[in-house]
Amino acid sequence: MGADNHTKVHIKVKKLKKKDNENNIDSKIKEHGVNESRPALNESKPDNYCVNKASEDFKWDPLRNISEDSDEVLKIIDSRLNNLEKEYFQEKKDINKNFKNVFTANGVSRREFIQWTALLTSALMLPTIFAPRVARAANILTRTPFIWLDMSDCMGNTEAFLRTAHPTPAEIILNYVSVDYMESIMVPAGYQAEARRDGTVKKYKGKYILVVEGAIPTAMNGKFLTIGAKGKTGLEITKSIAKNAGVIIAVGNCASYGGIPAAHPNPTGSVGLSSVTDRQVINIPACPANPVNLVGTLVEYLLIGKAPMLDSLGRPLWAYSGRLHDNCYRRGHFEAGEYVKHWGDDGAKKQYCLYMMGCKGPFTWNNCTVAQYNQDMSFPMRAGHGCIGCSEPAFWDRMTPFEKPNADAKIFMPAVEATADEFGVALFGAAGVGIAAHAIYTGVKKRKNNKNKNKDKNKDDKLNNGDNK
Amino acid sequence: MEKENGSGLKVVHRMTIIKRIIHWTLFLSIINNIITGFYIAYPFLIFGKTPSQADSPTVGVLNSGETYQAFIMTWMREFHFIGAVLIDVSFFAWLYLAFFSTKEPLYKSFLPFGNKIHETFDMVKHYFTLKNKPKTGKYQDPLNAMIFTFFHLLILLQMATGFQMYVASFTGTSAVGGWWPTLLHISTDWTLWVFGGLTGVTLAHLFIMWLIIIFIFYHIYTEIWRSIIWKEGDILIPFSGYKYSRDNLEKITEDEN
Repeated sequence: MGADNHTKVHIKVKKLKKKDNENNIDSKIKEHGVNESRPALNESKPDNYCVNKASEDFKWDPLRNISEDSDEVLKIIDSRLNNLEKEYFQEKKDINKNFKNVFTANGVSRREFIQWTALLTSALMLPTIFAPRVARAANILTRTPFIWLDMSDCMGNTEAFLRTAHPTPAEIILNYVSVDYMESIMVPAGYQAEARRDGTVKKYKGKYILVVEGAIPTAMNGKFLTIGAKGKTGLEITKSIAKNAGVIIAVGNCASYGGIPAAHPNPTGSVGLSSVTDRQVINIPACPANPVNLVGTLVEYLLIGKAPMLDSLGRPLWAYSGRLHDNCYRRGHFEAGEYVKHWGDDGAKKQYCLYMMGCKGPFTWNNCTVAQYNQDMSFPMRAGHGCIGCSEPAFWDRMTPFEKPNADAKIFMPAVEATADEFGVALFGAAGVGIAAHAIYTGVKKRKNNKNKNKDKNKDDKLNNGDNK
Repeated sequence: MEKENGSGLKVVHRMTIIKRIIHWTLFLSIINNIITGFYIAYPFLIFGKTPSQADSPTVGVLNSGETYQAFIMTWMREFHFIGAVLIDVSFFAWLYLAFFSTKEPLYKSFLPFGNKIHETFDMVKHYFTLKNKPKTGKYQDPLNAMIFTFFHLLILLQMATGFQMYVASFTGTSAVGGWWPTLLHISTDWTLWVFGGLTGVTLAHLFIMWLIIIFIFYHIYTEIWRSIIWKEGDILIPFSGYKYSRDNLEKITEDEN
């Protein structure tokens, strides 16, 4: 089915090529066979995809009470979805066709897809009435223009999303999103790739989704990272593309908070995306980020046209409001004082708590225990290793050592290379020595004083006696 | 509150009954929190029932065999929190009395103005020379007052870091309403910036505990030292509230010297 889709695309591309040769950039791109399943922008109806600006001001608080007037919210969402469908699909048939091309081709039946949307709806903390709307939004998402920038990173997030053996709809959506620029999977290269990217920025100004993966080096004016045929720095590219994006998402810990490139001593001056742009950035941290969190955030953006509720670190609250330790299935063993003490001991076999093996679950906010990794199957604690706190800022500095309890971590203090306990015991020892020294000194001094006093007394007595005589 | 008795020793009133209660509440709950805090930081008692984990002397004595019967960490945390609440209440009572006590407000001793700094140095000098003992007055000596104030600042820091760790598991609301986590976030979120994240806050909490342990030993030592050297019964203050003063025997001591 996927092959079918591609042949159709090629035919369409050829037809289009005959029609308009005046646009050089577009035709060049089409020559290189980029996935062009999205129809050309319908210029005749500009009102359709201009969502009413005032409607973006409505209250959206799915964690407590969605809105005072929920019917109003549903109306706004429905009109948004209608507009988006008109914008990205040629006709109604196309919507169903797209579903078949994307999901059925990958072995996901309609039923499984609906099951998955129910899962995503509940993960987003929305009531069931939103489930069909989430399904529609997920379908639209595969057609939304999309730019994926890779900065200094290991491409771990890309790999996690694209290389799944048995992909869930979340991964399929990320495979099929209409990626206009993504270094790891795009066909064009060099100047053409950049032309494609700049074309999308121009064409879909204020509408395209920008996903950034990887930290952005800022030292030496960003020279630590240059990309593409023109040798532009990552800093320049990010800034210019973020300016016109509809929504900006930082995926992975590196893009969110700097991650491993920004670990101490950070010679490249790497920072997270929110530090280089003054626009709002939605952070989807973790190493790698869970595809469900990225797709869920994108779906929520399509539904409401603005960022979902974020916590103080810029993470969507629906995914990152729960502490891992509180939702862990081994929590009971923590409370019972049953801990794994060595890898592979009996406690490990009985799935005791990994607190003493350095689990950083008590310091980490994420939903791995709920929407799990590896085709929604597992997460670190289930696999028998503690959490390393990869969804928290500066986890490489703050959460290490990964396999020892936090109490064994070295404290950040100039000229001190010790754990809090070692340093505390050293200070305590020094204080003890000081106290002992003072006690001995006092004893010796007092004895001396007493001797002197006695001598003086004797002298005085003698003198007094002499006077009397 | 100075009384004279037949021997020429004056009796000086130092601690009111409320202050003594605060003193011993703090003492007991700090000891409790040190022990339970050590356990939470590093669970030294392992209540595992598996043979390969039976390297603790307590296994077989305290271990009942079933997970649900041995909620040791729950109890440690529970007592840690109870101790913390007692310390916090005592701290605020101390803070109030330090300024508004009708009998002997501490601030009169610890505000480092005028001759207070001079008196502090005199006391330090006295510790090392054993000469020129500063006179015993109605109020705390300034050196002790300053060190006690520093100790209470450590307690305040423990409160801030402790509540930051405590509020971490809240999700915007609590059994008593949303104001409680909001209040804690407003008053303690600065610790995240100062100490570098929640792990840093935890390590700071652990390290400040050592400073408090050092203070405890220093405090006990100086009070015993004073009792022995001055012979004014300083160690009795937290028990009875009174100590003695020899300052009206000045003439005799001058004669002796």
